[in-house]
Amino acid sequence: MTKIELTRHPLLKSFLKSRYPQLAVFVLVLAGFVFAIVAGLIGTPVGSRNFSIVFVWIAWWAILILVAVPFFGRGWCAVCPIPLPGEWLQRGAVLDPPGKKPGWLNRRWPRIFRNIWLQNIAFLFLALFSSVLLTTPSLTGIVLAIMLLAATALSTVFERRAFCRYLCPVGGFIGIYAKIAPLELRIKDKDICARCKDKPCYHGSPAGYGCPWDVFPGGMTTNTYCGLCLECLRTCPYDNIAVNLRPFCRDLVKPSNRLDEAFKAFIMLGSALVYAGVLLGPWGMLKDAAYHVGTLAWFTYAAGFLAFIFIILPGLFFLCLMRAQNSLSMKQRFTSLSRALIPLGLMFWVAFSLSFVLTNASYTLATLSDPLGLGWNLFGTAGIPWQPVGTSILAPAQTLALVVGLIGSARTAQKAAYEAGVSTFPVIIYCLGLTVIMLWLLI
Amino acid sequence: MIPRLPFSLLLMVGLAAIFVPLPVPSTVPQERTFRIEARQFAFSPSELKVNVGDTITLKLVSMDVVHGLYVDGYGISVQADPGQTQTLTFTARKPGSFRLRCSATCGAMHPFMIGKLTVGENHWLLRSLVLAGLAVLGVLGQPILKA
Amino acid sequence: MKRPEVFSRILVLAGLVLAAGVPLAFWAQTPMIHARMSEQGGWTPNVLRVEAGQPLHMSMTSDDVVHGFAVGLMEIEPVDIEPGKVTNITLTFARPGIYTFYCTRWCGRNHWRMRGTIEVSGPDSGTDSSVIPLYVTLGIDIDEPHVAPVVPGRLPSAVNGRELVLEMDLTQINDPEFYRQNSPYQAFEALNSVSLSDPEKWDVVSALWLSNTSPNALDRGKSLYARNCAACHGENGTGDGVFADDLATGANLAMQTMDGTAGMPLQRPANFTDPNQMLGASPAVLQGKLLRGGMGTGMPMWGSIFTEQQLWDLTAYLYSFQFDYDNKGD
Repeated sequence: MTKIELTRHPLLKSFLKSRYPQLAVFVLVLAGFVFAIVAGLIGTPVGSRNFSIVFVWIAWWAILILVAVPFFGRGWCAVCPIPLPGEWLQRGAVLDPPGKKPGWLNRRWPRIFRNIWLQNIAFLFLALFSSVLLTTPSLTGIVLAIMLLAATALSTVFERRAFCRYLCPVGGFIGIYAKIAPLELRIKDKDICARCKDKPCYHGSPAGYGCPWDVFPGGMTTNTYCGLCLECLRTCPYDNIAVNLRPFCRDLVKPSNRLDEAFKAFIMLGSALVYAGVLLGPWGMLKDAAYHVGTLAWFTYAAGFLAFIFIILPGLFFLCLMRAQNSLSMKQRFTSLSRALIPLGLMFWVAFSLSFVLTNASYTLATLSDPLGLGWNLFGTAGIPWQPVGTSILAPAQTLALVVGLIGSARTAQKAAYEAGVSTFPVIIYCLGLTVIMLWLLI
Repeated sequence: MIPRLPFSLLLMVGLAAIFVPLPVPSTVPQERTFRIEARQFAFSPSELKVNVGDTITLKLVSMDVVHGLYVDGYGISVQADPGQTQTLTFTARKPGSFRLRCSATCGAMHPFMIGKLTVGENHWLLRSLVLAGLAVLGVLGQPILKA
Repeated sequence: MKRPEVFSRILVLAGLVLAAGVPLAFWAQTPMIHARMSEQGGWTPNVLRVEAGQPLHMSMTSDDVVHGFAVGLMEIEPVDIEPGKVTNITLTFARPGIYTFYCTRWCGRNHWRMRGTIEVSGPDSGTDSSVIPLYVTLGIDIDEPHVAPVVPGRLPSAVNGRELVLEMDLTQINDPEFYRQNSPYQAFEALNSVSLSDPEKWDVVSALWLSNTSPNALDRGKSLYARNCAACHGENGTGDGVFADDLATGANLAMQTMDGTAGMPLQRPANFTDPNQMLGASPAVLQGKLLRGGMGTGMPMWGSIFTEQQLWDLTAYLYSFQFDYDNKGD
C-alpha cells in the first residue's frame, strides 16, 4: 500500500472544497492571533502568566512540532492567520471566488530571493534572541504583529503569499520537515495536466484563485512548498487533485540539489542541540550569555551558535562525504546527503520540545482563565499551580523520538549515499554521534 | 560487511535494553547534605551526585530573590526567601537522572532555571545509548530502500 | 456583493474587534498597583490616597518576582503578591496621616527600599501621636563607636546569672530605665563593687538583660530578624548574609553630610556575634539605629515600619547572640 486517496470520500472532498469550514477556522485563529498580540503588549510581563507566551511558545508550539508537522506536514500553514488580511486585500474578498481583479501591484517576487535563504536568516535572527523572545510577552507580541504587518504589506506589492513562501521563519522549517509527513496533496494523473491548456490551478479561474504558494500542482513532487490551502482542489476542472495518505518520509526518497534546504537542515539540527544544552542544561553561564543580549557574553554565544551551525556541523558532514566512487560534485553529494538529516532534525526538536512542554503545560490552564494577568478566572482554572506532568514517561518518549529519527535518517542516508556514490557508514556515524550528544543533554 | 540481523533478534535485544533491570551497586546508604545557592537563574552547585538509597538533605539558600527548588520524579518542593534557608529531605530510592527546577517565579528565565541530580547511574541514558547503537546496527545490515 | 461575502466580512471584523477590543477595554478599566524590584521602579503607583474611614481597595500584581505587602505600624498580616497573579486587599484607616506600605518578601538587595505611602486625609485629630526616640531624649550620638573595653571569655549564661541575682541586691541596676540606657558593658562596670568573678558578673548582666524581655518577645524578635535582617546580617548574626558581599564591595557614597565631607559609605553588615561591638551598645543605641537607619550605610530605617514594641523585641533578640538565654551552650 503506497497511497490512500482521502479525497475519494465525497464527504471529505466537499468539506475541503467548501470555503465555509475553512473560513470558520480562519476567523477563530485570526482572532486568537490578534488576542495573543494584544495580550503580549498590554498583559502581565510575567511570561508564565501571559496568554501570549503560554499559548504561542507552549501550546501552539507543542501542537505544531508534536502533531501538525510530523503528521500533517504543512498542516499549520493551512490554517495560519498571518497571510489572511493581505490575501483578502489582494483578492478584494474574504469568501468570494475571483470577480473583478483589484488594483494591487502583484509583482513577481525577485528572482534572487526565490529560495529559502531569507527564511533561514529570519529563523536564525529569532533563534539568537530566543531566550528573550520566549520569556518576554511584549516582545512576542511585537514579533507576531510584525509578521502580520509584513505579510499584509508584502501582499500589496507582490503577488500571491510572498511572506509565507519566502520570508516566514516558521515556514522555512515546516517546509523541509513536511517531506516526512504521511499526508500529501498531489495530482492524480499527469497526462490530464499535460493536456490542460489554461492551468487554472496556477492562474486561477472563476472557481478559485491561482496557487497562493506559487506552486504548479501539476509538477509538484514534494510537500515542501505546498501550504495545503486547497485552492487547486477548487479550481481544477478535471478533478485531478487529491489529498493522499502515504508512508512516512516519502519525499526524502527524491534527491534534491538545493543548498538553501541543505543548510536549513543544519540550522535546525544545530539549534536543537544548542537549545537542549543552553535552555535545558544545568549551566547557568550559558543561560546568562543567551539572555543578556548585547553583552560580550551574548556576542560570544551568538558567534559560537553561528559557527556551530554554519561551520562545524556542515564541515564535519563534508568530511564524511570525501571518499567517493563516482564523479558527482561535492555540492551534489552535500545537498543530496543532507536530506538524510531531516528526520533526525525533526525528532531532535520533538524530543527537546517534549521536555519543556510537559514541564510547563499546566500554565495553559491558568492562562486560559486569566490571559492578561488581570485577576480574571474565566474557567475557574486561574489558581492551578505549576505542576510538571508526565515526568516518568519523558525520558522514554524522548528516547523513542530520537531513535525513530535516527532510524529514519540512517535509512535515508543509505539510499542517498548509494545514489551519490559515497559510503553510508560515515554519515550514519555522524547521525549516531549527534544523537548520542542529544541523548546526553536531554536525559 | 554488517550481516543482516533478523528483525526478531533486534526486537529482542531492544526490549531487553528497555526492560532488563540493571544492577544497582549496593552501597551503604549515607546521609548527604548539599547547600544549594539559588540566584537568577541558576543553582550552585547545579549538578549533584548521590548513591541509591542515600538520604538527601538539600538546603536552599536564595541569594537574591525568592526561589524554589522542585525535584523531578519526586514531586517535592520548597521555597526560600534570601536570609531564610529552607530544607528539603528525601530518600533517593530510584536510580537515574532527575532535573531540579525552580518552583517560584523569579524573573524571565525562571522556566529554564535547572539543575541535575544523578542518583546512582543514569540507567535510562545507558538504555537509550544501547537502543541508538542497536538502531544503527539494524539499519546498516538492511538492504537499501528502492524507491 | 453577495450575502455570504458580506456576512463573512462582518464575521472577520467582529472577530478582530472583539479580540483586540475586549482585552483593551478591561485592561484600561482595571487600576492595578504594580510591584517590581526596587531597581525596576518598586511600587507603581507608590502614593495612594484615601479618606479616613473610607475603604481603600487595592489590586496588586507583581511584574517580576515574588513580593509581599504590609502597612507599617499597623497590625495586618502581610499578603504575598505573586508574579502575574492579582492580590486584592481592602483597608480602612481610622486616623488620618501618612502610612508607609512596604514589600515583605525579599526581592533583591534593595528590597527594603521598596516602599510607598498611603496619604489618609481627614479632620486633624489635633494631637501628634509620634513618639520621640529614646536616643534623642537621652542625647546619645548613635553613630559614635561603641566598643566594650572588656568582654567575657565565654558566652555568659543567663541561667547561672539568675541564680546569682537572687542572692544579690541590685535595685540600682535592675530596672527597665537602666536596661535601656546602658550597655551590657556599663552594667558589668556597675557591678564592680560586687564580689563575683568576672565571668559571674557577665552571667548576672545576661540575666538582667533576659529579665527585661520575655520568651514571647524573643520569639517575635527572632521572627522579625529572620524575615527582615538575616538576608544581610546572616542567619546566625555573623554579618555574612547573602547580600553582605554586595554591600561590602558597593562602597559608593550613598549619602553625604550637609557640609559635603565624606558621608557614610555602604559597609559590611554588623556582626552581632562580635562582643566588642555588641556589649558596648545600649538598647537605646540599637533601637535608635533600627529606627533611624544607617544614613547611607545600607542599613534600612525601620521607624515607619516597626512599632515600638517590635523595635524593643528585635533589640532584645539581638542580644541573644551574645548571651546564652536557654542553656543550649554556644
